Amino acid sequence: MAFLADPAAALPGAGRAAPGAIPALTLEGVEVRYPGAARPALSVDHLTIGRGERVAVIGPSGSGKTTLLRLLNGTLAAERGEIFVLGKRLVPGRRLPREQRRRIGMIFQDFALVERASVFDNVLFGRLGHAHPWLSLIGHFSDRDRDIAGAAVREVGLLEQLVQRADALSGGQRQRVAIARVLAQEPEIILADEPVSNLDPALTNDILGLLTRASERRGATLVMALHQPRLATAHAGRVIGIGGGRIVLDEAAARLSDDALRSVYGRPFAVSGGAAK
Amino acid sequence: MAEPRPPSGWFTRVEHLAILGVIAVLVAWAWHGTEFDLAKLGEGLPRLAEFFTRMVPPDLTVAETVALSTVETLQIALLGTVLSAVASLVLGLLGAANLTPPWVHQPVKWLLGALRGIPVILLALIFVSAVGLGPLPGVLTIAVHATGMLGKFYAEAFENADPMPLEALQSTGASWLQTIRFGALTQVAPDLARDTLFRFELNLRESLVLGLVGAGGIGFYIQLYIRAFQYDKVATLTLVVLAMVIATEQLSVWVRRHLR
Repeated sequence: MAFLADPAAALPGAGRAAPGAIPALTLEGVEVRYPGAARPALSVDHLTIGRGERVAVIGPSGSGKTTLLRLLNGTLAAERGEIFVLGKRLVPGRRLPREQRRRIGMIFQDFALVERASVFDNVLFGRLGHAHPWLSLIGHFSDRDRDIAGAAVREVGLLEQLVQRADALSGGQRQRVAIARVLAQEPEIILADEPVSNLDPALTNDILGLLTRASERRGATLVMALHQPRLATAHAGRVIGIGGGRIVLDEAAARLSDDALRSVYGRPFAVSGGAAK
Repeated sequence: MAEPRPPSGWFTRVEHLAILGVIAVLVAWAWHGTEFDLAKLGEGLPRLAEFFTRMVPPDLTVAETVALSTVETLQIALLGTVLSAVASLVLGLLGAANLTPPWVHQPVKWLLGALRGIPVILLALIFVSAVGLGPLPGVLTIAVHATGMLGKFYAEAFENADPMPLEALQSTGASWLQTIRFGALTQVAPDLARDTLFRFELNLRESLVLGLVGAGGIGFYIQLYIRAFQYDKVATLTLVVLAMVIATEQLSVWVRRHLR
């Protein structure tokens, strides 16, 4: 009955990184509990994600996907356990130092752009962790910072909207700006919290394709929380499933089966589509 | 079967009547307390009419003096507004509950409340006795008095800023100041500009009365001419003041409409 006690322990490939990969992220005995909650929002015995891996985190709403990402970018502190990001241990309750934060890019579900700022400025904000802390306050950014921001705008295909304000863009364009901001940051890890859930279904493959190609080109580790297993298998190399705050699936995307998805969603689910009829 | 509808009416009507009753009692209390008397006002109407009759035609020989002191009033309001805007930016940031811990923002909120609580005339008297007569105590009075209100408005604007872009900028490695400068300030800039322009209009009106206690500006001439019963000169002064206030308001409304 070990499977029932710890579902993840019984899963093939659980808690291990791709062979040969140097760990980008490691979680050991981590537990997060929100105030007043009866059970932990997330409980992870062991999880390692190697550098350069492309990982999709799937699971039903409220399962703990966002909690996991917020733990990894240091905006949420674990009640117990240890988290290592790029070999450095996160100290609970203490904000990550600037040098560490700029190595972890975060893409948010609702874009989190500065709406009144232009496309270029929003992308340039991705350089704030690299820019001079005082001179940048009066708008001074180095030529290198501006070049990197410009290249990121070109990469996401928004050169024509360069000076347009973010609040004048469509949803798809906004998410492209958010991706460009993260690319300008030159992070070693990119965390994406449901990056396509607010977008037209027709755009989801374009945006995820852009994100995965860009991170692959830079050798960055990509961890995406996604709602749809179909997108996870199409755009990630490894799929981690969270159900009820625990990792219940950790599998190579190519080997993902309908049965494995049932353990995540607690009901029949098809890899190629959604909930089975 | 009856169609569903919100809970009815009887209790709501009683509530409305109760609210109206409370308002009526308060008005009666204030009426009695201030000895408000419409008959007395009626008796005073002829004297009011005489006052206005003696204002025409306006004495334009004082136009130059009035214009110069009007400019001084404008300068007092302008400099006072700029100084209060700078102070309010710092205090507004420190007083924003989403940007600073309670042990910082709570005392700042108290300080701003205290500044708002001091009557403007009292402040003017304090500054006149401290630095002497002239426009300087006027500027200081406006700057300190306006900071109480503007600092509160700025703090509220920062508190209403969308927190997500701030979190996003922090995650790029931005420092606290960079996050404020590019995340918060960029978001709330139109609100701050609107509040500042509105405060400038108020400051201009308040600057008019500062001269009554020797703190510079046109107020000095208001009390001078009224005490000398030179109502035709008061008329010139009133016209200039009206023109200045209306022009400033129109400009302010136009600028605020175009801020976005």
